[in-house]
Amino acid sequence: MAKPSQIDPRGPRFGATITNVLSVIIFFEALDKSTESVAALLFGIAAVLFLIGSVFGTSKHPFGWLFRTFVKPRLAAPKELEDSRPPQFAQAVGLFVSVIGLVLFWADVPYGIAIAAAALFLASALQAYAGFCLGCQMYLGLRRLGVFKA
Amino acid sequence: MSLLVKLGLFAGLVIVAALVALVWKATTGKAKKVTDGEHVDLAEIGAVKDGKPVTALSTRVTFLQFSTDFCTFCGPTARMFQTLERSDPSVTHLEVNVTNRLDLVKKFNILQTPTTLVLDQRGKILSRIGGAPKAHNLVTEIGNFDI
Repeated sequence: MAKPSQIDPRGPRFGATITNVLSVIIFFEALDKSTESVAALLFGIAAVLFLIGSVFGTSKHPFGWLFRTFVKPRLAAPKELEDSRPPQFAQAVGLFVSVIGLVLFWADVPYGIAIAAAALFLASALQAYAGFCLGCQMYLGLRRLGVFKA
Repeated sequence: MSLLVKLGLFAGLVIVAALVALVWKATTGKAKKVTDGEHVDLAEIGAVKDGKPVTALSTRVTFLQFSTDFCTFCGPTARMFQTLERSDPSVTHLEVNVTNRLDLVKKFNILQTPTTLVLDQRGKILSRIGGAPKAHNLVTEIGNFDI
């Protein structure tokens, strides 16, 4: 079995910080009917970013590139490296949440986007500020519910 | 929607996030005693050590760690147990990858990884640790295990 690639754990946390800021903007825009379409557009961008992250991994993600180019050179070497698969899986969970948000928007569900943005806010805040990967934590739960198969 | 209501909703969201983080930090990695624990059959669950199947338990305490491929703290937890194992020969660490072993996940009611079962020398479950245990907590825990 090939050893999975190892990444600097601060990379996904940096990306989650930007995602967290984005989720706050989406949340506020989604609470008003007049700006809800702006929220939907931003959520669409977030979905594309999650798609890149879940297919190619967080290091190929634009936020991963930002981290490597501008942040990492200013930091000390990481104390420990981390498996690249958990954050990549969390990106897929993020994609799932943004798609649900967009579907709710198209279905004209009141505050659908705001609810999805709130979920995105929770997950990205926990990852960014507490180092807790909610998406990774959900792996076994989602498997047990039969949401997806390996 | 007025700005005040929006800010109120957002404040609620921040509080929920902070509570989840606090509860997680306070509960993760703590050992919980299991009364009337069942016996674990190592051959049946496919426990491995250094990639090789293992059926022998430690003479004192065995830490059986359940991991998946999508688990942030499984690697660091395994390394921590391996360090402990080197410093204390009566401790054995075994790992089972349950990424595709839903049967085991259901059997042992595993909700998160890492989940570590603490086994006595006959394979009886004494305790379970959900999340990544801290090394210094574990050293005190080993003394508390009623073996």
